[in-house]
Amino acid sequence: MLTSIKWLKNRIVGFWKIADEVARYKAVETIEYELGELDNIFGILVLGAFIGIPSPPIQITMVLLPDMEKEFKLILEKVQTAHDPLGDLFSVLGID
Amino acid sequence: MEPEIHFFIGKGGVGKSTTSAIASVHYSNTAQNTLLVSMDPAHNQRDIFGMDFSEKPKQVTETLAVKEVDTDFWIEKYLKETQEHIKKSYTYQSAFNLQNYFNVLQFSPGIEEYALLMAFEDIIHRFEDRDIIVFDMAPTALTLKFLSLPLITLVWLKELLKLRQQIYEKKEIVSKIKIGKKGIEQDKVKAKLETLIDNYEHLRDHLTATNTKINLVMNVDKLSFSEAVRIKTKLSDISMHIDRVIINKLKDGESIDAITTEFSDQKIRSFPLSENDLSGLEGINAYIDSNMGIFKEG
Repeated sequence: MLTSIKWLKNRIVGFWKIADEVARYKAVETIEYELGELDNIFGILVLGAFIGIPSPPIQITMVLLPDMEKEFKLILEKVQTAHDPLGDLFSVLGID
Repeated sequence: MEPEIHFFIGKGGVGKSTTSAIASVHYSNTAQNTLLVSMDPAHNQRDIFGMDFSEKPKQVTETLAVKEVDTDFWIEKYLKETQEHIKKSYTYQSAFNLQNYFNVLQFSPGIEEYALLMAFEDIIHRFEDRDIIVFDMAPTALTLKFLSLPLITLVWLKELLKLRQQIYEKKEIVSKIKIGKKGIEQDKVKAKLETLIDNYEHLRDHLTATNTKINLVMNVDKLSFSEAVRIKTKLSDISMHIDRVIINKLKDGESIDAITTEFSDQKIRSFPLSENDLSGLEGINAYIDSNMGIFKEG
């Protein structure tokens, strides 16, 4: 009997944890998208020189460049996918 | 006490190098430990003093040393350091891909004035023991870009920091909701932006400090006058004030009324046209001796 209650309790706790985790991920989905876009804007502002966009005085780019490998790769990738910005947005918003 | 800084600026050919050399010799003659720095890529000081100068200051007299700023040296040093940092923090492939970019970066717009700024920062820290540091500047365009660089850079840095701060706060929210902890890894880029802002504010303060004097060198001709007026306007746009106007190559009987009216807030010094060739320390001293009144200001 005790084992059954324990088993049930564990199942409920397990279910609660998963539901909680799903809810938390859902809750931040939009913020994360916004965060991604802010990261893109920051990357383009600082590293614009690499993709032909006017950039800040070159010394700012040079000082920040060693700590911006992720953003550097990202803007180069973005140039390749730049022809389909709506597709990118629809996929995030879950529109087929 | 921090050294007094004198910038000699003006249109090409008005005599910035000559007047800065005369002023430096005068300061050193009055027992003030003086460093004359040539920031003009043309480096006329070697022709005026008749000796070679380099990045390492050379003593001309006991109280006067002359140094030339080599912009290529500063650009190379700066690019090498950045490349080293990138090699340490990037994956091999990314660092390798950036190699070609560095090869052309030395020709990038804006790099020359930044090299001058690096040299300036180095000089004001390394030669704090001097009484006076005189900077013989490049012609107007490059000098104005140099003087406005800290201000322009600060505008960018502050906007970038605002954006980075926004990113950091959102990351904190995401982290708090997802894993329940508020603490996230320190943002290296944000920390660097804050350090850069401190550095540039320090540089801007140095350029606008009361012990930093801007000497505008000009001749009485119309072109020189027009450019001097434009320089005054441009400097006031970046909150910099001309301390003194030096009218160089002034001939007997020439009127300076237009200049004294336009520059009524500035001290005026007139340097008469020299009959003899102004070269070598003896030549400069002879000029000072025969024009004793030139350092009196009206």
